[in-house]
Amino acid sequence: MPFMEFVNFYLMPGIVLGSIYALGAVGITLVFGILRFAHLAHGDLATFGAFTALGVVTIFGVSPWVALPVAMVVCASLAIGIDKLFYDYLSERPKIIVVMSSLGIALMLRAVVQVVWGVDTETYTRGIVRPDDYWGIRIRDREIYTIIAMFVIVGVLWAFLQKTRWGKAMRAMSDNPDLALLSGVDNRKITMLTWGIVGILCAASGFFLGINTELKPLMGWTMLLPMFAAAILGGVGRAEGAVIGGLIVGIVEETSVLFIPGEYKAALAFAILLLILLVRPTGLLKGKVL
Amino acid sequence: MTSQAIAEQPMANNSMQQKYSGKPILTMADVRGGYGDADILQGINMQVTEQEIVVIVGPNGAGKSTAMKAIFGLLKVRGGSIVVNGTEIAGWKPNRIVQHGVCYVPQVNNIFREMTIHENLEMGAFLRKGDIYESLERVYTLFPDLKERRNALAGNLSGGQRQMVAMGRALMLNPSLLLLDEPTAGLSPKYMEQIFEITRNLRNAGLSILLVEQHAKQALAFADKGYVLAAGNNRHEGTGQELLADREVAEMFLGG
Amino acid sequence: MELIGLLNYVVYMAIFIGIYCLLALGLNIQWGFSGLFNAGIAGFFAVGAYTSALLTAPESGVHLGGFQLPVVVGWIGAMIAAGAIAWPIGKVCLRFRSDYLAIATIGVAEIIRLVVKSEGWMTGGARGVNKIPRPFGDLSYLYSQLAYLALVLAIVLVVYWAIERQISAPWGRMMRGIRDNEDAATAMGKDIKARRLEAFIFGAAVMGFGGALFAHFNRSITPEAIDPMIATFLVWIMLILGGSGNNRGALLGVAVVWIIWSASEFVTDQFPTEFAIKAKYMRVFIIGLLLQLVLRFRPEGILPEPQGTASSPEVKTTQKQEGAAE
Repeated sequence: MPFMEFVNFYLMPGIVLGSIYALGAVGITLVFGILRFAHLAHGDLATFGAFTALGVVTIFGVSPWVALPVAMVVCASLAIGIDKLFYDYLSERPKIIVVMSSLGIALMLRAVVQVVWGVDTETYTRGIVRPDDYWGIRIRDREIYTIIAMFVIVGVLWAFLQKTRWGKAMRAMSDNPDLALLSGVDNRKITMLTWGIVGILCAASGFFLGINTELKPLMGWTMLLPMFAAAILGGVGRAEGAVIGGLIVGIVEETSVLFIPGEYKAALAFAILLLILLVRPTGLLKGKVL
Repeated sequence: MTSQAIAEQPMANNSMQQKYSGKPILTMADVRGGYGDADILQGINMQVTEQEIVVIVGPNGAGKSTAMKAIFGLLKVRGGSIVVNGTEIAGWKPNRIVQHGVCYVPQVNNIFREMTIHENLEMGAFLRKGDIYESLERVYTLFPDLKERRNALAGNLSGGQRQMVAMGRALMLNPSLLLLDEPTAGLSPKYMEQIFEITRNLRNAGLSILLVEQHAKQALAFADKGYVLAAGNNRHEGTGQELLADREVAEMFLGG
Repeated sequence: MELIGLLNYVVYMAIFIGIYCLLALGLNIQWGFSGLFNAGIAGFFAVGAYTSALLTAPESGVHLGGFQLPVVVGWIGAMIAAGAIAWPIGKVCLRFRSDYLAIATIGVAEIIRLVVKSEGWMTGGARGVNKIPRPFGDLSYLYSQLAYLALVLAIVLVVYWAIERQISAPWGRMMRGIRDNEDAATAMGKDIKARRLEAFIFGAAVMGFGGALFAHFNRSITPEAIDPMIATFLVWIMLILGGSGNNRGALLGVAVVWIIWSASEFVTDQFPTEFAIKAKYMRVFIIGLLLQLVLRFRPEGILPEPQGTASSPEVKTTQKQEGAAE
């Protein structure tokens, strides 16, 4: 196979898909690291974000790119609201109870999407977009924007975590929660902040999956496994690790069709997950193991 | 302190009258409490006055660390009173106690491993509004090693340096009372000496320090006062020298 | 005629309840007694259903098989297959907190679904496996149903008895000890891992058995027969509502939730068709909400675990702190 064919049909789609996974995986790693549980409603929150943007597009007739920030705000508020309504009451109980609760939230969110938007496949815009040719690399505008947006969003988050007072407090809470509390960090504020950021990231990953493929009520749920695989591969609690993990999982899934039947693409994430748990549970960039 | 214990040690009691004349920073009276339903502390009395190092010694399970956690609001206090700087603080949450001028260095997990030394110190000052430059400089002066490696991850440091980070973090709020839970556990003699040296310097600079120590002999040698706890009760108290000289204490807790 | 129709319906429902009872008992071994989070119940169910179906079904051009083995052999095969899938997953994931197991079991269920759909040569693809023999299938309809119900109930009783026996044995006490203090458990080492793995495999085998009973009851099994998430989730809410850690609670929870679930279907079926599809999803939403309410207001379920071993969170945190103290 010519090299450029590999780049255009396997590598680039892999990077695009990987960027979408990365956005979700960063959120998962934040919840895993700071709030210390596996958030199983993550994918369905992304679905909700994607459909919220669709709602804005259909009601106001605006471009999807205008709808994205709206969806981010809605998802952030929703994530904070879900925490206040449900997860927060379980904070004194074993963390696994919150995991279970989040499984229920996943089903509830999906049910809302199915009731409001139905079960049919939707798209943000009609028509086929042909890729442009850049020195032999064929790529669509929206794919370029997806990759750029991922790096910008994660870059801003990274700067926030490294440079600001509250960003450092979030890292401190992830690093050593007892000591963070002893230092006077307010747990409730950190929790709220985390959910807000997670909501924004979810909306972004759902939106970019929707704009590059199509919108389906199960779109987020099917992303859950690859996103968790990416987060654990990168190292739990490590945002930059989640980006690397997301890109690896995306590229592996897209190139896997060269070797295995396409139906089993989704199984690759699972294989990566088990492999990393087996050989290096801390992930590539030494993260936490819960 | 039981009346029997006082009767047995008239000398100790006399000399301590003078000590008590300093301004009291911490006064614990008949403090009871523990985890779950069991009381580990069965009526502890202690006092730390201004600019004083007080050492708590005793066998394993005597309630030494537990007493410290009780002061810092990390376990339920079911009876008695804990007064710091004239205010009753029993039942307060740790972050309120921090703002009241008490800082605590736990024995384990006392640093942010994935953050730099500098960030660890910044987290120590999390509750402070405004400039923390002076406090940073003060801590870096106390621990010159830390200043050199300020951008190193705390988790990559040696045990002794980690302990310095932990103490430095606690000092960032300029507390009036510092609680140190076995700061020398697992350290080499060289680092142990260094930590004790710094503890003395802090006292000389005006701080009051409550210290739980396994290295009882070395700690009592420079302590202004010591309490011997056993089974959740006060057993002995006196100046460091007095406790070192006490035969019973020596036999029971100091390894003869 | 009315009465016969009603009786038929009740018997039909009762058989389903019996099958769900097996799933709930299987989950109770994993979650109730051992604290293991299995989010892939439908996967183990499907493996059991297909294994037993393929072992017992007659020759067919569309799928593997033609073995026509006795039904009992099919059941044993179902349990072994479900347990065999649980083994490697447990081996890898039980070293960590149950969150990892939750994610991995979601993955297992997803992959089993993929295999069932894609490997037509083995599973018959979308057409599934048909003409699965059914015990007492030769009797007239109602008697055949009643006989199958009796069989299912007998199996539930045997499994119930076996679990109760096992749980009151030292094995069960140890399991609950592990569940209530995972930190201490992991520190205790290898033996604990083996016990947890046993519980996970044992539970999965019971779920596989449930799948087998379902396949033989329906005489066919297709990929559409089970909606993986909803099936898994129903079993969870049954166990939590009934009282995890208590087998009688599990059985009660199955009956209560299954009746609510079916009754709500009965109600929504009366709606005009344009609402009927949406109503199905509203039911899912309500079941999800029910879980949230139970977790928040009655976490111990209707029938709590006896002898107060369902330790309160305070006790748990205490154990942790004591470990760290001194």
